[in-house]
This record gives sequence, structure tokens and C-alpha cells, in this order.
Amino acid sequence: MAAVRSNTNWAEDDIEADELPQTTETTDANGITTIISWKLDEQDRKVKVTRRIRRRVQTQVVSHSVAERKGWAKFGLDSGKPSGPDRKTTIIGENLHFRIAPVSKAEPEVVDPAAAKPTAGKAVVCRLCQGGHFTAKCPYKDQLAVIDNMNTEGMDEEEDAGGVGGLAPKGAGGAGGKYVPPGQRAGGGAGESMFRSRDDLPTLRITSLSVDADEDDVRDLFAKFGRIARVSVVRDRETRESKGLAFVSFEERKNAEEAIKVMNGRGYDSLILNVAWSQPRGDRP
Amino acid sequence: MKPIILQGHERSLTQIVFNSEGDLLFSASKDSVVNAWFTSNGERLGTFGGIKGDGGHNGTVWTVAVDSQTRFLITGAADNTMKLWEIATGKCLFTWDFLTAVKRVAWNEEDDTILSITEQRSGQPSIIRIYKINRDEPTMQTTTPITTMTLSGSKATVALWTPLSEYILTGHESGKVAKYDVKSGEEVNYVDDAHKGEITDIQSSPDGTYFITSSKDKTARIFDSETLEEMKVFPTETPLNSACIAPLRPYIILGGGQDAMSVTTTSQRAGKFESRFWHKLFEEEVGRVKGHFGPINTLAVHPQGKAYASGAEDGFVRVHWFDESYFRSRPFGDLEPEVEV
Repeated sequence: MAAVRSNTNWAEDDIEADELPQTTETTDANGITTIISWKLDEQDRKVKVTRRIRRRVQTQVVSHSVAERKGWAKFGLDSGKPSGPDRKTTIIGENLHFRIAPVSKAEPEVVDPAAAKPTAGKAVVCRLCQGGHFTAKCPYKDQLAVIDNMNTEGMDEEEDAGGVGGLAPKGAGGAGGKYVPPGQRAGGGAGESMFRSRDDLPTLRITSLSVDADEDDVRDLFAKFGRIARVSVVRDRETRESKGLAFVSFEERKNAEEAIKVMNGRGYDSLILNVAWSQPRGDRP
Repeated sequence: MKPIILQGHERSLTQIVFNSEGDLLFSASKDSVVNAWFTSNGERLGTFGGIKGDGGHNGTVWTVAVDSQTRFLITGAADNTMKLWEIATGKCLFTWDFLTAVKRVAWNEEDDTILSITEQRSGQPSIIRIYKINRDEPTMQTTTPITTMTLSGSKATVALWTPLSEYILTGHESGKVAKYDVKSGEEVNYVDDAHKGEITDIQSSPDGTYFITSSKDKTARIFDSETLEEMKVFPTETPLNSACIAPLRPYIILGGGQDAMSVTTTSQRAGKFESRFWHKLFEEEVGRVKGHFGPINTLAVHPQGKAYASGAEDGFVRVHWFDESYFRSRPFGDLEPEVEV
């Protein structure tokens, strides 16, 4: 190939670039079709487009008239075009989550500055008696204010004793009132993250699982031990066949422990299940 | 649910209709071309018009109607014509000329008669005409209507045949709903204040015994076809452009949004360009489907209730095939009977 290249000069090479190789289609043993097509990009460079698809035949029973219409030749602007959807006129949109359920009326409406104002005016609530007036104008100000102060003081003490970091600025700062990030405060721990990391969940690794078992089967198998956060069955990337390996994440650690005790060594679909803690990627030998 | 997005129009959609088996969808738009689509995969079967010299429309196509055998298509347009097309080939078979634009057409149940509504403009009143269609020799049609109804009051915007094709039901600009005898052309019944704004769409229930209207007054209403008695009201927050009744499940689908002229000044979220599902009996909203960038102009539901399509001001048609969960849904729990599908 290289020898051929050296013989042609760049001008001929340029002409050759216009002749794009034919689109090739090959189907392998797993039923995966590889389509290799070529196109020119905006700078007239050759671009190889490899698409790997799996064709699945779906049979649908239709009436005769529908079947006849399926065979009609295209007409108008589409006359002479091959059958099948044209990418210029037809695209598949992304998956929409659509569920029929009553739409609650109390749903927070769109942030509309004009609409927000009147509600802000209405939302005057007395801090003492919860009435619809300003705290300063509360008729029970003298009696309730004392009780209220006592309550808040009591709460502050409790919080300090419990060592809840982050919420109360008072006592949470270090010596001299210097700011200390919540994560470094005494008793604050690592702080609470918005998202629970995947690795936080107690996860079990199930091996020698039947290849016929799918996510739902595994979920059924383990659901009796407690709430399951996630189930995944490891599959072949191309054939989508199970590899006999699955991961189950529980929400509670004690449920997971119970599941190991009961399920490890149990028979399922003529195989003996092996259930153990799943080790994070880094710790694995 | 993955929508199939059909982009065959350069301008906003005016009306979309399914054929009786639901395998084809016809879409009319302001760009003067009518498209035919396979609903199962979104493939375009062809276009009616669009090539010079093929007898296509020369202006906004306001309305499209397909007969029950999927043989002939009727379209009405702003170029003051109504056309008959052969669906299998996309050929224009006959053209009727009028003095004003054709705003609505519809086939009767027997496929042998059509109605057309012409616009009220430049001194011309709004007229409903009924034509017999010669099905044996489709290129030989008569231009003399069998009945002509000249409307003196508010103009008619939408119309529909009743079962057995004895009467037609009309929706008017003033919000009036009326019923006309096809033979005599007489108004036999009417409700003057059915809506408080212009009626934008009228669609029949699967059996034709009741029908739904959508209006600019932000409500959709269901009326009895026989007595024109109001049965249900669905109040929403935006002007409505279209409404349809889903067969099989007790839902109706509403679409709308604010006027095209104010679209650019409102955010997409506030615009409410969603198709809204309401429970037909409980008059409660049960779901929304978003996706369009402009107000929905027209909605159509698969005659067997398996899918619905929406056409919008943004020029796109979206076909949605319902998931299995839609057919199993019972949003109000035990209040509803379980339905076998």
C-alpha cells in the first residue's frame, strides 16, 4: 500500500479522495451487522463512519389494506427514493418519561416575578402566635415572647451537645470565631453530600448465577431481605447475554448482611449461588 | 415513550389526520405541501404538491381530510381552492375554485359526500357547501353543491359530520356550537355561548355520540351530539388550539399555547407547549408530554388508541406510540374499572 502511495502525486491523490469507497455491510456470528460507510466532511476530508447495529425482526399482524399500502411506491418529492425512513425527514426523539398520574394542583408553578409579589405580601406570619400579622403587632407579645426565648435556648444547648456541625454557626466556628469549613469542624464528619455515592450503598456480588436470570429475577430473589436500591446483571456488550454475574445494592447494610447469610450457597436454577460483598474497583486483588 | 419526529414542513402545521387504520398520517401546513407518513416508522410515503406543475396548492393548506378507505384525500387552502387527490399516487384529480379560502373540509361516513367551509372575507359571507363525490370517475366531479348554507351570524371555523351523516356540527368564531340539517340546510339546534372565545377544533368521540371542542377561551368542552348539551368542561391556563378524545382509555388530549405572535417573548417553560392529558370523566389533568418549541396547532389520535400525534407552530409533527404503562394506568385507583386491552 505504501509503495502505491509513493507513486501517485498529491494531485492524483486529491482526485481519488472524491471517489468514496463503497458502503460495506458485514454480519458476524453474533448477528451484529457492521456498516462501514464513507463521507466527506466540510473540509472535503474522507470520514469513515462505522455503525454497528443489531437487526431484530418484529412481526406485526396487520390488515390486508395496511399491508398493501406498505408496498406503495413513493410519490411527490419522495418519488424514486428507496424504502425506509429518510434521515432528512424522520428522526427518533429521545425517550420521554410519560406516566399517567393525577397532576397535583399544588405543584410549584413557574418562577414568575409578577405572580410572586402578591404571595409575598400575603405571607406575613407572626413568629409568636402564627397569626396573619407582623410579630411586633402581636397581641400576645408579652406572654409568648418569654416562652419562645426559653425554647430556642434549650434547643441550642441540645445541638451543641449532639455536635451537629454545619447548621448552627454558633459554637461551630473554631477559637476566636474564625471560619472553619463544615467538613473540618469537630463532630461534623465528612459533611452531608447531596448525592450518595454509588460505593456508599452496601453492594453484593452474585456469581455463578444462571445466565437466564435477568434484573427482575434477581430483584425478586433478594427483595425479601429489604429495600433494594439497584440491581445490575453484567451482560455481553454485543450479544446482551448475561455473564452469570450480578450486583445488588441494598439501602441498609444489615439487610445485605442477612442476604449474604441466607443466599450464599443456596441453589438457584441448578447452580449454587455465590454471594459476597462486592469490592470497590481499587481494592480488588 | 420515544417520539418519532417528522420534519417535512417548512412552516407551521395547520391540521393532521390519521387514516382509519392508523397506519398513515396526513399533515397539512402553511408551506402549501401536504405530506403522507407511515406512522409505524415515520417514513414519508410522499407529498401532495411540492413539485412545479403537478397541480399542488399555492398557499397555506388549512385543512385535510381522508376517506375511510384511504383512497381519496380532500384538502382546502388559502389559494381559494379545494382539491381531491388520489392517495396511492399523489395525483391531483379535481380542483374546486371559490372566492375565498377553504378553512375546513370533512368526509361523511359513507365516503360519498364532503363538506367545505369557506372563509368570510372581502364582502363574502362564510358558506358551508355540501358536495357529492363521484367515486367511480374521480376526475369528473360536479362543482354544484347539493346544499349551500350561507351563515349570516358569526362565521363557522370548524365542522364535523354526525353519525349516519344526517347533520353537521359546527363551531363558530363567536364560541357558538350549532347543528345543521344536511338536506334542508336549516339550523336545527344551537348553543350561543358554548364557549367564550373562538372555537379552534372539533373532534368526534369514537362512536360519534359526543364530541369535543377546544377554544381560545382556554377551555375544552364535551357536548352531546344529539342535544348539544354540555357534558364536561376542562379548564386550562392557555388558549387551546386542538383537542381529541382517545379511544380505549378514558382520556382526552389537549394542545395549545399562546398566540404565535407572543411566542418569542415567553420562555418555553411558561409557554406550556405541551400536550396535556385529562381524564375524560373526572375532569382532572393526568399527564403532560413536552417536546414542541411552539404552540401545538393540531392533535390527532390513532383510531385504535395506540398512538397520538401533534403538529405545532415549530413545523414539526411528533408521533407518540403509547407505552404499555399507558394502557394499564388507572390514575384514580379503585374508582376506575380495570380495563382489559
